[in-house]
Amino acid sequence: MTTTAPAAPTALAPGARLTFGRILDSEWAKIKTVRSTVWTLLALFVVSVLISWGIAALAASDVAKDVAEGKKNDAPDLLTVGVAFGQIAALVLGVMSMTAEYSTGMIRTSLTAVPWRASMLAAKALVLALVLFVVGAITGFCCYFLANLMLDAKDVGIALGDPGVIRSLIGTGLYLAVLGLFGMALGVLLRHTAGAITLGIALIFVVGGVVGLIPGKTGDWIAKLMPANAGSQVMSVEAADKMFRPWPGFAVFAAETLILLLLGTLLLEKRDA
Amino acid sequence: MIVAESLTKRYGAKTAVDDVSFEVHPGRVTGFLGPNGAGKSTTMRMILGLDRPSAGRVTVDGRAYRDLSAPMVQVGALIDAKALHGGRTARDHLVVLAKSNGIPLTRVDEVLDIVGLTSVAKKRSGGFSLGMGQRLGIAGALLGDPRVLLFDEPVNGLDPEGILWIRNLMKRLAGEGRTVFVSSHLMSEMALTADHLLVIGRGRILADTGVAQFIAENSVSHVKVRSPQADRLAELAAAAGWQVSRDPAGALLVQEVTTDQVGDLAGHNGVFLHELAKVEASLEEAFMRLTADSVEYHTGGTPPKTAAEAVPGWGPPTVADRIG
Repeated sequence: MTTTAPAAPTALAPGARLTFGRILDSEWAKIKTVRSTVWTLLALFVVSVLISWGIAALAASDVAKDVAEGKKNDAPDLLTVGVAFGQIAALVLGVMSMTAEYSTGMIRTSLTAVPWRASMLAAKALVLALVLFVVGAITGFCCYFLANLMLDAKDVGIALGDPGVIRSLIGTGLYLAVLGLFGMALGVLLRHTAGAITLGIALIFVVGGVVGLIPGKTGDWIAKLMPANAGSQVMSVEAADKMFRPWPGFAVFAAETLILLLLGTLLLEKRDA
Repeated sequence: MIVAESLTKRYGAKTAVDDVSFEVHPGRVTGFLGPNGAGKSTTMRMILGLDRPSAGRVTVDGRAYRDLSAPMVQVGALIDAKALHGGRTARDHLVVLAKSNGIPLTRVDEVLDIVGLTSVAKKRSGGFSLGMGQRLGIAGALLGDPRVLLFDEPVNGLDPEGILWIRNLMKRLAGEGRTVFVSSHLMSEMALTADHLLVIGRGRILADTGVAQFIAENSVSHVKVRSPQADRLAELAAAAGWQVSRDPAGALLVQEVTTDQVGDLAGHNGVFLHELAKVEASLEEAFMRLTADSVEYHTGGTPPKTAAEAVPGWGPPTVADRIG
């Protein structure tokens, strides 16, 4: 095939080949060129900030009353309370980053261009995590500023420099980034948008709360280990009762997500596209 | 060059591709022909590393697709017009692909121009017609200026102008020394485009031959004669050692003779003729004969009456039972 082939096509670009950096670049182009990314991130931001602000505005007087009566100060819990709702958007974005490839048929083109499947998944995960971390942290800070404005008005505001505050706001970005990856892992495992979103929401909102009803030490541990219960501690200024401390909780959540992602990588490598 | 060795794909109990071996050489258009469900797309997906073979292997220029370091420069593939995210614009779709393989973005505009999509480059592909989707898929295949090109049913959804364009494109690419492998379920399309044919039916390779040779070997032309003395003529023809059959209307069909020979025989014996015609079997008929035969051969038992019955999804039940 070397000497007889007529007019062998010239190489387009000598340097044209796959590298992880290029796959990363390609995945970045993928996520920013679909409108759903912008809408989902906007929903994450708007829902989180508005709900945090609204609840802080409504609750500020009660908090001030409690503090005056020497009861527990709930103000720290109110700062980023809206993220509990906004987080659904992060989960959805993560799920869709993978399932949209399958539902549109793009996966066949993607894997033809990049047959290194594990690398593609890793690049996708990195891009998603980075985007969600940045948007999540910005959201966290905006939640804080707006909510604190309301609390300050009743003299129960919390200073940015108070212990755990900055960590909780950066932690909002970290939690949402890993939650997105959690959704992405469900997406690669199930390859079905509605199925993965349903399972994700069930695990975060339903199962996480219900397992708390299991009595005794076993129940406590199961509740502690549930993904969102463990992961969301990094977002709170003071960790909740019976839960992990912020950083160990986040580590547990990250480890659980990593296990799911590795399982997803194995299946992606093995299954027909 | 593409080399398949004992390539097999099973889905549960069903064997989609059954111990297939073939080579696709550069410098010519190789048509991959078979009815729907014959295993064409499955084979193409295995070549592209999308599906894992149950047994055997397939390589492109000596390597498994998933081991290629510059897949888009080595192989360009049109899988189907719907293998893209409709929310992305045509240009963005190609940019995503180009970036992954380090292909300069100037090439994106070049291929958009080649396939004639420059004017809709900024439009979301979700609104594209099937034909425009095919063109975008072809643009993606050409992006890396690859040495090996795979097209799965490229003429689907194209208008006549588009069909002519893709035919010429494939011939030009092969003329440049590239390997061009194109699947189709339309024999007539392959006759116009391909130099070489790989015929697949029920997951098995039925023929691996040049187009001209395929027609010569598989089509049978015959002479059709209508005569008021058909019985007498049939006796004479049989006595001459010719193979004679009758069509449903009672006309005689004489195999492997010329109209001259039949006319002379009738004239010498004083038999009147009302019609004397040479009937050329088309490529389509040749293909149906081949697939029908293969099915009879593989399944045994009662031979199916027509190719259409034998091969699900295959064309109209026409000439096969008359010839076969």
